[in-house]
Amino acid sequence: MTAAIEMAGLVKAYGENRALDGVDLQVAEGSVYGFLGPNGAGKTTTLRILSGLARPTEGEARVFGHDVVGSSADVRATIGYLPDVPGFYDWMTGPEFLRFAGRLFGLEGAVLDSRVSGLLEMAGLDGVRTRIGGYSRGMKQRLGVAQALVNAPKLLLLDEPTSALDPIGRKDVLDMVAALSGRTTVFFSTHILADVERVCDTVAVLDRGRVVEQASVSDLKTRHGSTRLILVVTGDATALGDRLAREPWVTGVETTAANTLVLAVGDIDAARHAVPAAVAGSGLGMVRFDTLEVSLEDVFVGLVGGGA
Amino acid sequence: MRGFGAFLAKELAEIVRTWRIWVLPGMVLFFAVSGPPLAALTPELVSSLVTQDTPGVVIQLPDPTYVDAYAQWAKNLSQIVLFAVIIMFGGMVSSERRSGTAALVLAKPLDRSAFIVAKAVSHAALLIASVAVGAVVTWGVTLAIFGEAPVGRLVASTAAWLVLALLFLALMEALSASIDSQAGAAGLGLAAFMLLSIATLWGPLQRYSPAGLMNAPAEIVADKPVELLWPLVTTATATVVLVAVAVWVFRRREL
Repeated sequence: MTAAIEMAGLVKAYGENRALDGVDLQVAEGSVYGFLGPNGAGKTTTLRILSGLARPTEGEARVFGHDVVGSSADVRATIGYLPDVPGFYDWMTGPEFLRFAGRLFGLEGAVLDSRVSGLLEMAGLDGVRTRIGGYSRGMKQRLGVAQALVNAPKLLLLDEPTSALDPIGRKDVLDMVAALSGRTTVFFSTHILADVERVCDTVAVLDRGRVVEQASVSDLKTRHGSTRLILVVTGDATALGDRLAREPWVTGVETTAANTLVLAVGDIDAARHAVPAAVAGSGLGMVRFDTLEVSLEDVFVGLVGGGA
Repeated sequence: MRGFGAFLAKELAEIVRTWRIWVLPGMVLFFAVSGPPLAALTPELVSSLVTQDTPGVVIQLPDPTYVDAYAQWAKNLSQIVLFAVIIMFGGMVSSERRSGTAALVLAKPLDRSAFIVAKAVSHAALLIASVAVGAVVTWGVTLAIFGEAPVGRLVASTAAWLVLALLFLALMEALSASIDSQAGAAGLGLAAFMLLSIATLWGPLQRYSPAGLMNAPAEIVADKPVELLWPLVTTATATVVLVAVAVWVFRRREL
């Protein structure tokens, strides 16, 4: 199967500064792909290259096998793109803009009519007749997603679609993206980790113009998140913490309260056998002993060095 | 030129539904309506001023005719309206780049050449329609005031100016495709206007270059002999070249 997106050695330089520094990436067709990175990592530059708005300095990028430079028109016909700050014609209404966008893809007549009405309904903008200049930020972003879908794209490129929205606007946009799962390949750049965890099945982490990791969300957590255990005892846990810190399977001990330890462990089975014995040996009773879920945020901070 | 029709329709709708429909047509219509009465009243105004300031001095001015009304029209077009064209059209491409609308539409299968040519066509349509209506109004008001208004001189004078104005439209499009600042593009456009005005002083440029059209509208109205063939040919050629330059520059720009 042809990958939806392939990048090989992609470089984008602005003078001495390399916004992208040899990006290699593959996005499988049908996935909802999170493109994570701190501000300035190169996410927007990557999306601008994929959508034909900028040219790579070196390397190549392909969308469904088409080179984004040599076959730019073919690529643009198969994608939908939402920039981080979409610029609309404020004098148009939402339905007018969607019709205009559809005509740029050659849509006409009944197909265009049904596409526009369906998208307006999906975006919660059916019945809204005010000009786009009077829209709220959330309405504009939902219209942005709708216009990116007007050609029923095989690939949807979304550049930080939720970064400037309030919680309700964010939920609306994420619901729209989640609804596309399985129908369209979605390539979704963001620095909001909770959004990725919510809608993406696969993720790449970009840092200083390089992809530092690329995997499914669960694989990423397994590979990069050391297992953490919470231990709550009946008395002061300081001496117990010192004792456990000397064990070879313990990689870190954090005291979060007088009677509470968070243990980072490399061997969960060894921990499950040894910790109850150590608690008993310390003359303490065990109140709670449980695993803590590794968040994508922990993984992300670990990968990019807390630069987000 | 994929997407040309859809984008041209957008451009024309934008003209009708925004400030653009009021500014240039409004200015041209104002001059069309006010020019002939001003021409008719000018001798009286000058005489009254001279009489008030210098008693005893008598100035005899010939009676105003339709030629004065047409000259007023030609002068307004060649100066104020042309300046307005230069300033207004300085942002015809860069405003879409700055606002992000260009990125949104050019990520779709709209060719950049179609984007540029559609803008040239729509702005030319606005200019031609405004000036054509203005010329008709000038003719009607002139006829009403002076009882005489031959069509030929007015049409020839207006047409010669339009050819020159289209050159400046193309120049402003090329500048606007190259420079993000509307003021910067307008400044360069005004500089080009000044250079072309200076070029009229040198015979060969006056005879063979667009400089020959700078004074042509007034000279046609005054019924002076004007050689237009080469200035028209070189102006039309330069217009096409400048639109091509705008396309070439815009294709290389990143959005």
